[in-house]
Amino acid sequence: MRTKIILLICLVFILIWPAIQLYQHRHFQIPIVAGPGVTRVTKLSHYLPALKGTMADTWIFWLEGQESGGKALILGNSHANEPEGMLAALVVIENGLVERGTLLVIPQFNHSASRATRPGDGYPLYFNIDTKWGKKKFRMGNREASPLDQWPDPDVYLHYPDKQLLSFLDARNVNRTWPGRPKGLLMEQVTYAAMELIRQEKVDLVIDIHGAETMFPVTNCIVAPEKSAKLATMVSLTVKATEKFDNHVEPSPPKFRGLSHREIGDYSDAMPFLLEAPIPFLDQPTGPKTEKFLLDGKDPFLLRLSRKNKLFVPYDETGWPIDKRVGQHLSVTLEILRQYSRRTPERSIIIHNVPRYAEVVEKGVGYYFQDPSQVRRDRIYLN
Amino acid sequence: MAKFIMITYYLLTAFIATLFFWNFWQEKKKIDRQILYLLVLIPLLLRLLRIK
Amino acid sequence: MIAKIAVVLISMVVAYLVGQWRRFSVELSLFLAAFLGAGCGAIFSTPPWQEILRHLVEGSFTYLDVILVFSTATIFMAVLRESGGIDYVVQATMNSLGKIRPLALFILMVIVLIPGALTGAGSVSLLVVGAPVAAALHHLGLSRPRIAAILFILAGLSAAAPPVNIWAMILCAGTAIPYVGFELPLGLPVIFLGTLTIFSLGWRPEKIAEAKENWEKMDIPKGMSWWRIALPFMVLFGLILAYRLWPFNLPVLGLPLQFFLGSITAWLTSPKKLNFFLISRETMVRILPLVSTMVVIGMLQQVMTATGVRGLISYAVISIPLVLLFISLAVIIPISEGVLTYGAAAILGIPLIWYLDSLGYHATVAISGLSLLWPLGDGLPPTALIGRLSVMVSNYEGSYWSFLRKTWFPWIIITLAGILMVIFSAKLSFLVRWSTG
Repeated sequence: MRTKIILLICLVFILIWPAIQLYQHRHFQIPIVAGPGVTRVTKLSHYLPALKGTMADTWIFWLEGQESGGKALILGNSHANEPEGMLAALVVIENGLVERGTLLVIPQFNHSASRATRPGDGYPLYFNIDTKWGKKKFRMGNREASPLDQWPDPDVYLHYPDKQLLSFLDARNVNRTWPGRPKGLLMEQVTYAAMELIRQEKVDLVIDIHGAETMFPVTNCIVAPEKSAKLATMVSLTVKATEKFDNHVEPSPPKFRGLSHREIGDYSDAMPFLLEAPIPFLDQPTGPKTEKFLLDGKDPFLLRLSRKNKLFVPYDETGWPIDKRVGQHLSVTLEILRQYSRRTPERSIIIHNVPRYAEVVEKGVGYYFQDPSQVRRDRIYLN
Repeated sequence: MAKFIMITYYLLTAFIATLFFWNFWQEKKKIDRQILYLLVLIPLLLRLLRIK
Repeated sequence: MIAKIAVVLISMVVAYLVGQWRRFSVELSLFLAAFLGAGCGAIFSTPPWQEILRHLVEGSFTYLDVILVFSTATIFMAVLRESGGIDYVVQATMNSLGKIRPLALFILMVIVLIPGALTGAGSVSLLVVGAPVAAALHHLGLSRPRIAAILFILAGLSAAAPPVNIWAMILCAGTAIPYVGFELPLGLPVIFLGTLTIFSLGWRPEKIAEAKENWEKMDIPKGMSWWRIALPFMVLFGLILAYRLWPFNLPVLGLPLQFFLGSITAWLTSPKKLNFFLISRETMVRILPLVSTMVVIGMLQQVMTATGVRGLISYAVISIPLVLLFISLAVIIPISEGVLTYGAAAILGIPLIWYLDSLGYHATVAISGLSLLWPLGDGLPPTALIGRLSVMVSNYEGSYWSFLRKTWFPWIIITLAGILMVIFSAKLSFLVRWSTG
C-alpha cells in the first residue's frame, strides 16, 4: 500500500511539470500586428459557420488596394512544423501595402496543428526570432491537427471525392484534405471553407507556402498543376536570373489527390502554386532537433551527406537559415503576383513594401516584425 | 455526430484507464508491473484532461 | 557533435543492458535507456534539463491510438473466448474441413490474412482470429511453437497485404508518393509467401495424440450457435467495410470503437452470462507488457530524436555503399522494426526511398519490398510485438527463441523476396501499372 502511494506521488510529480508545459504551449498566443496595409480582418468560419468556436477557425487578413483588380490568397502553416510559410505570411501582413487588387493572407491555415506538438519527434516547444526590439516568440507546431480537435482517426483515410486511400494520419493533414466537404472531418471543413473563400471571392491565385527536407526530391521548388505551369516557369527563370537563387518547377501529379496544388486548380478558377524551401530540420539523418538547428539549418550529418551527393539541394557550412528560406518565399510570391499582373492587367495585384530575398537575408526576417507593445491594441490579433 | 463520437472516445479512454488503475491497485507483489501500469496511465490521463 | 551523440547512444545501450542484467523487464529496461539517454543528452545541452520530462511524456503519446486498438481488440477476443464461441467455430470448421488438409491450411491462412489486410495491423489478425486458428492448427496436429511460428509470419504478411499497409502509408505520406498501385506489388508476394509458409510449416502433422485429447476436452456451452458467433464479427467487419464503401455518408468510428462495439455485441449474444468488466480487467493484465512497450518505445523514440541518436542511426544507414546496403537490408530493416516499430519506417524508410528513387529505383515497388521485411522485425526484441502476441494466442509457454527458430525457412524466403523486389524494382514496375489499370 505504501509503495503504491509513493509510486502515485511519483506519477503526479512526473506529470505535473510536462502537463503545464504542454497546456501552456496549446494556449500560447502569438500577437500578430495588422500592418498599415491591412484593411480588415475576418475569420475563416465566415465561409463555413460550422468552424466557429473550434480550434480550426483562423484569421484572414485582407490587404485591399484603392483600385480594384485581381485577388490572391497566401496560406502559411498548412503544415505548422514548416514555419517559414507562416513567417513569410506575417512579413506580408505587417509590411505590405496594396495599391491595386486584394491580397488575402491566412498565416495559420492549420490553426489546430499550430497548437499541437509532435510525439516521437522531439521538437522544441517554441522558437524565437531576433528583432530590433527583442525576441518574438512563436509556437512550434505539428504537421497534423491536434487529436484534441479531431479524434479518432479512421483506420485509413479515404480522400473526398476520389476515395483515394491515404494514411490515417492524413485525415488531420490539411494538405491532403482539399477540396474538403462541409459536413466532413474538421480538417475537411477547413479546406472546404477555404475553397468557398476562393470561389466566393473569385480569387485568382493561391500560394501555399511550405518547407521540405533537403533529401526530398520535391524541394526548393514551385509545385504547379498544368494551368499554373507556364507562370511558374516564368517566375522560376526570373528569380534565377535576377536574384540568383534556384527554385525549379515541379509538375503537380494528377493522380495524387488532396493536395492544394492539385485540388484548388481542379475545383475552382484559381491558379494554385505550392512553394517549397529546404528545411533541414525536417530531415531524418540529422543531429538533435533544437531551436538553433530549426533556425540556422546547420547540421554535420547533412553536410557529410551533401559531400556524398545525397541531398537534392546545395548544402555547405552555412546551412539553410530561416532568413534565406523566408526570403526565397517572399521573392517567389512577389514574382508570381508580378508575372500574373503583367499577363492579365485587368486582374493585376500590385503590392509594395514587402522585402525580397536579398533584403531579408541581409537584415533578417525579424527586422520586419513590429513591436506589439508599441502598436494600438485594436491592430493586434492573437493567433 | 463527430462530437458525439469524440465524447465516446473519452469515455472509452476513461474505461481503459480505470482498468489499468484498478489492476495497479490490485497488483500485490511485483513492483515493476506497478510501475508499468502507471507508465501506461500517463498518455491516457493527459488525454482525458485534454492537455495533449 | 557526432562524438557526443555517439556517447548518448552508448549510454542508452548500457542502461538497457544494466536493466536486463538487474533482471528488470524489457519494458523497464527500455524506460531506463530512454531516461538515462535524455539525462546524458542534457549534459551535452540537448534536450535541456527542464525539457526531459516533457519529452518522455510527449513521447508516450506516439502510439496512443495503437494502444487503444490493442486494448479493445483483446477485450473483443476475450469476450468471444469466454462465451465459448471460439471453441465452437474451431470444432465446426475442423469437422467439415479437417479431412482435406491442404484446403484446411489454405483457408486458415486466408482467415489470418483478412483482418490484418483490412486494418494494416498484424496484431488485429492475431487478436481477432489468432486463438481459433491456433486451436484449429493444433487440431491438425501441429505443435505449439510451430503454430506460433505460422501465426507470426502470417500476421506479418497480413499487415503487409493490401489494401492497408501502414509502413507503405507512412512512407508514402513522408515521401509524397501517392498510395496507389500497391495491390499487385504487395498482394502477389503476400499470397505466394503466405501459402509457402503455411504449407512448409504446417504440412506434416506432429503431435496428433495431444491434439485429439484437447479436442475432446472442448466444452461448448449450451445454446451456442453460428449466429451468436457471426453477429459480433458482422458488427466489426460490417463497420470497417461500411466506412470503405460509404466513407462520405458515415461518420469515422475508428478501430477502437469498432472493436468495442463488437465486444458489446459478443457480450450480448453470449449464451453464458459474462462479467464484462471482469473480463476486460483480466485482459488488461495480459496485455500490460505489450501496451507498456508501446508507451516506452514512444518515449525512447522521442529521446533518440531530441538527442540526435535517431539521426546518427539514420545517417549510418544512408551512408552504407549501395551493394552493401542491399545485403544489409536483411538485418537493418527487421532490427529497426524490433527497436522502433512503425517509427522505423519514418526514420530509415523515408531517406532510403528518396535515395533509391534518385538512383532510378521504382519507389512503389521498393516500398512494397521493404514492407515485406519490416513485419519480420516484429518478432525481434526488444519490442517483439507480433512475436509475443503469436506466442500468447497460441498458448505456447516454452522458450521464445525456440519458437522464433521455427520461422527460419519462411524468414529467409521473405527476406530474399523483399530485397530482390527492391533491387529489381524498376523491372517490376509493370505490377504498379497493372494495379492502377
